[in-house]
Amino acid sequence: MGDRRIFEDREQFLEALRRLVREGVPGERIRVITPFGVPEVEEILPGKRSKVRLFALVGAASGTVTGFAFTILTSLSWPLIVGGKPIVSIPPFIIIAFALTILFGALSTFAGFLLLSRLPSLRGIRSGEEYGNAFVILVEDGERR
Amino acid sequence: MGNVHKYAKVDRDILAAMGKPGRLYLAGLAVTASLVVIGGILWAYQIRNGLGVAGYTHPVNWAIYITNFVFWVGIAHSGTLISAVLFLFRARYRTSFNRAAEAMTVFALMVAGLFPLIHLGRSWVFYYLIPYPNQRQLWVNFRSPLVWDVFAVGTYFTVSLVFFYVGMLPDFAVAKRYAEGIRKRIYTVLSLGWKGTDREWRHYGMLYLFLAAFATPLVASVHSVVSWDFAMSIVPGWHTTIFAPYFVAGAILSGTAMVITLVVPLRKTMNLHEYITDDHFESIAKILLFTSLIVSYAYIVEFGLASYGENVFEKEAFRYRALGEFRYLTWAMIFCNSLVPLTLFAKRLRRNTTYLLVVSLLVNVGMWLERFVIIVTSLAHDFDPYVWGTYRPTYVEVGISLGSFGLFFMLYLLFVKNLPVLSITEIKEHL
Repeated sequence: MGDRRIFEDREQFLEALRRLVREGVPGERIRVITPFGVPEVEEILPGKRSKVRLFALVGAASGTVTGFAFTILTSLSWPLIVGGKPIVSIPPFIIIAFALTILFGALSTFAGFLLLSRLPSLRGIRSGEEYGNAFVILVEDGERR
Repeated sequence: MGNVHKYAKVDRDILAAMGKPGRLYLAGLAVTASLVVIGGILWAYQIRNGLGVAGYTHPVNWAIYITNFVFWVGIAHSGTLISAVLFLFRARYRTSFNRAAEAMTVFALMVAGLFPLIHLGRSWVFYYLIPYPNQRQLWVNFRSPLVWDVFAVGTYFTVSLVFFYVGMLPDFAVAKRYAEGIRKRIYTVLSLGWKGTDREWRHYGMLYLFLAAFATPLVASVHSVVSWDFAMSIVPGWHTTIFAPYFVAGAILSGTAMVITLVVPLRKTMNLHEYITDDHFESIAKILLFTSLIVSYAYIVEFGLASYGENVFEKEAFRYRALGEFRYLTWAMIFCNSLVPLTLFAKRLRRNTTYLLVVSLLVNVGMWLERFVIIVTSLAHDFDPYVWGTYRPTYVEVGISLGSFGLFFMLYLLFVKNLPVLSITEIKEHL
């Protein structure tokens, strides 16, 4: 267990965090707990852009591909002409592909968030550690966070 | 007052809404639950005896149930508009409404999803609409708007539910701090062990942004797909290209009205004046006014297209809509959706919550009537005078419809006492 500093004020907390970084404490050793998202933290502790974006991209793209593949391939293997329309009717299939793009994209982004944030965390659920509305800076001793 | 105390006050004020329910609340719950029971019994009666107990007669085979479906899907839209679109535009006043609006979206879609099943008659075969390999040698027709509905509404419900839950995730961690007993355990599990670390907030910010971005096109797409249930057919009064934007604007109008209907009493009974201010109501009233103007424009265009076109069937459909046997409903619709909201040009009225509540109730009525008028008048009076007919709802349909309102308001009442009604962390962020 390393150093732990608790602040009641947002500005004081940010000032202390900036000082720590200026002093040369590596960002990987600093852990911050806040009652709400503080965008400045991301600026002070740089080099940590969220990879949730990739999950969004891959999910959405796979939704589009699935939507078209699913409608086209199943229509081809059950070639029933309805209302004189072509077996592979792209305009209506776009609607299905669009819906699946959003669906897969949203679900994959959520899954990515859970994975990257390491949630659900059994330790977090069991632990009674609670800082309420305070801003906390934890500086860990070890090499790893 | 120190920051921590200010934050703690926000926690207490918002979580106080989840305290012991008063008599008024219990009475509301009893009334809505009774409506649900009545609706359920009537649905069981309809399943037992067949769709003949509904007022369907040839040629009107879509009526109140489909009206309710379109109405409730429409109500859902404003929730997404407020939570996703206003988030992307960084409109701060959204924090006063977004939780209630997101809950409204999820509940409205749950209610809407029941109506295709109720309308189906043989509700237990609804799974025919879901494409999966089966021994019946049946496959869905992807060219059918009814199948698009399954995908559009299914996606909409799933994404809205995820968005609703994600928004509450940090708030569950706050709620568990103040709760006791079984509630504490439930909130703890729902918070997934959220601690508020920089890593969690960083990914959370990105997740919320992307969910908002994914949900935003749904505001336009879902009701467009619903409108194509009608517009893809050739029935006069339905077969028109303006249906998609017309329905989307109507959906946002009705949804915004429902948000006002829900939030005005919420603010009064839960003492949330500090967090939901008159300025916030004024902003939401502007959305109501703006969408009402779009809807009015669509009404004018619809009648205009019919009157200067050379299609006699279309002309007759709109003459019948305005002057036929359902004329009072059409006039009431125009009064509620187009004329009453015009009064919101007056700033004083936009800031008067009692007046806003009255306007929102009238718009709700008007928007329900709009769907009824579009569906029933078009079917009752299509191409061939020989098959013209009419429609009168039966007590079964009216009861099931009232049951749907009961279900929606019951779910909402349960929500306000069990989940944080405002976004605690976002309000703290903006303090």
